[in-house]
Amino acid sequence: MSDWFFYLIAFPIAALFIASAIYALQWASKTGQLRDLEEGAKVIFDEEEPVGRPTDQTLRQPKPVTPPKASK
Amino acid sequence: MASASQLAASLKPSASPEMVKRAELSEIDASTKLPALFFFGSSILWLLVGTVFALLASFKMHMPHFLGDYEWLTFGRVRTAHLNAVIYGWSINASFGVAFWLMARLSRAELRHSGLLLIAAAFWNIGVTLGIYGILAGDSTSIEWLEFPPYATPLLFFAYALVGAWAIITFRFGRSKHIYVSQWYVLAALFWFPWIYSVAQIMLIFSPARGTVQSLVNWWFAHNVLGLWFTPIALGAVYYFLPKVLGKPIHSYYLSVLGFWSLAIFYNWAGVHHLIGGPVPVWVQTAGITASFMMVIPVIVTAINHHLTMIGSFSALKFSPTLRFTVFGAVAYTFTSLQGSSMSIRSWSEVTHFTHYTIGHSHAGMYAFFTMVMFGSIYYIMPRIMLKEWPSAKLISVHFWACAIGVSFYVLVLSIGGVKQGMEMNTLPVGADGKVGGPIAFLEIVKNTIPWLKMRSYSGILITIGHLAFAINFVWMLLKPGSVGASAPTLFRNAPDLEVTR
Repeated sequence: MSDWFFYLIAFPIAALFIASAIYALQWASKTGQLRDLEEGAKVIFDEEEPVGRPTDQTLRQPKPVTPPKASK
Repeated sequence: MASASQLAASLKPSASPEMVKRAELSEIDASTKLPALFFFGSSILWLLVGTVFALLASFKMHMPHFLGDYEWLTFGRVRTAHLNAVIYGWSINASFGVAFWLMARLSRAELRHSGLLLIAAAFWNIGVTLGIYGILAGDSTSIEWLEFPPYATPLLFFAYALVGAWAIITFRFGRSKHIYVSQWYVLAALFWFPWIYSVAQIMLIFSPARGTVQSLVNWWFAHNVLGLWFTPIALGAVYYFLPKVLGKPIHSYYLSVLGFWSLAIFYNWAGVHHLIGGPVPVWVQTAGITASFMMVIPVIVTAINHHLTMIGSFSALKFSPTLRFTVFGAVAYTFTSLQGSSMSIRSWSEVTHFTHYTIGHSHAGMYAFFTMVMFGSIYYIMPRIMLKEWPSAKLISVHFWACAIGVSFYVLVLSIGGVKQGMEMNTLPVGADGKVGGPIAFLEIVKNTIPWLKMRSYSGILITIGHLAFAINFVWMLLKPGSVGASAPTLFRNAPDLEVTR
């Protein structure tokens, strides 16, 4: 590989790559992504599928006599 | 031109006010249906193809004459075809499907421009087909993990560019204020892969580096595909499905963010540990070993987090196929990562390098961890986009147990056989004192591995049974009539105390 390739193409691309990573971290910090982390854990739940409701029971067999207790 | 403003509106959230509302989960799922089916369907097809090549290669290890007269099916080609079919065919197709389903859901935005994804999927699969054909025809580049001949790779690159562009559009349309940790993982993976893939293509195929630099680039690439593509996608899936299935938030969100950024910083350095003892500068090897051990931080952090989330909910493993596969994968992640770190120790590498131990390790990572997590994800996603339940719970159980036992046995026998092989290869000739055991003839060592290789083939058969069960269930689900007018897979929306029928 010739030197021009490294200086003209590979190096600028690598520098841009690192710059974009730094920008991403700076953006995350600026927009508050790194604050209030415990709340962040709950964003995958909503009124449709709230905390406390399991969402996959595919292998549950029908139980005619005693329905299993609700887990809070 | 009207289409220009329409195009702008479709790319910029600020230009399309009607999209401001948060989409319902069922709407999002419905919008992903076509591309998801395309990706999952083709991934399962490649899984079966890759499994056939795997069995052929495995049997050839202890029955060298088996199909030995067909040059298209010689070991070198079949083994390579296996690797590329399961990596580029099964794993990447599946991870595309899972990644964009997760992205759409976590951004709370309907899938836009799904046509981009369909074109990408078509190009990707044509590229992989061409690549596998090229390998079987003898056009392999002979660079590990990049064996696809140069006439196949541009198609892959084009497909990848479309997926990347699509991901950024979806992300910009996000209706979720917070970026969940899974999104960090998926976005990072989408961002890293073109970087490592293009550098590797340029420095190995287009204008090859010379000498040992070539092998450095090769292993930097091969290891980073695992660490910066497959690992983040699968971890992103675990971080979504584990809390989602259980219905409780991840134990410590702080730890998950720490795990992400430490992975991002350390992993890139670790690939050199494939060359320990090789003719590359010792400082480079030492840096690789250091990075391999720094990886213990994200691994332990992630393991603690997953385990503490599971505590108190182990009974849910009985009901949820997604959870079973995902938890199996998460445990395998901890195991295989710590095993990988230990394999970078110089004295241990002396024993295990160039033996079957390494093959066991790679299957612990790509199969027991990554593939099992993808199975779990597909079990969760499919009912939600098809609006019907998996037809057979029995086939799911067969799939899980055959694959779980199969891959565990696989890793176990190759680990034992590999260490034995390594110790025999390291047995020194008779020393000056005349005491050290004499050298063992190489052919003798090869013969000693045969029982372990046979056991490997048996576990391969077991895994094949699991894959067949999965494929049958998948096709059956596609063909089975769904309930009319359903907007959700009714079964899943029931509260846990409600009666559920299968």
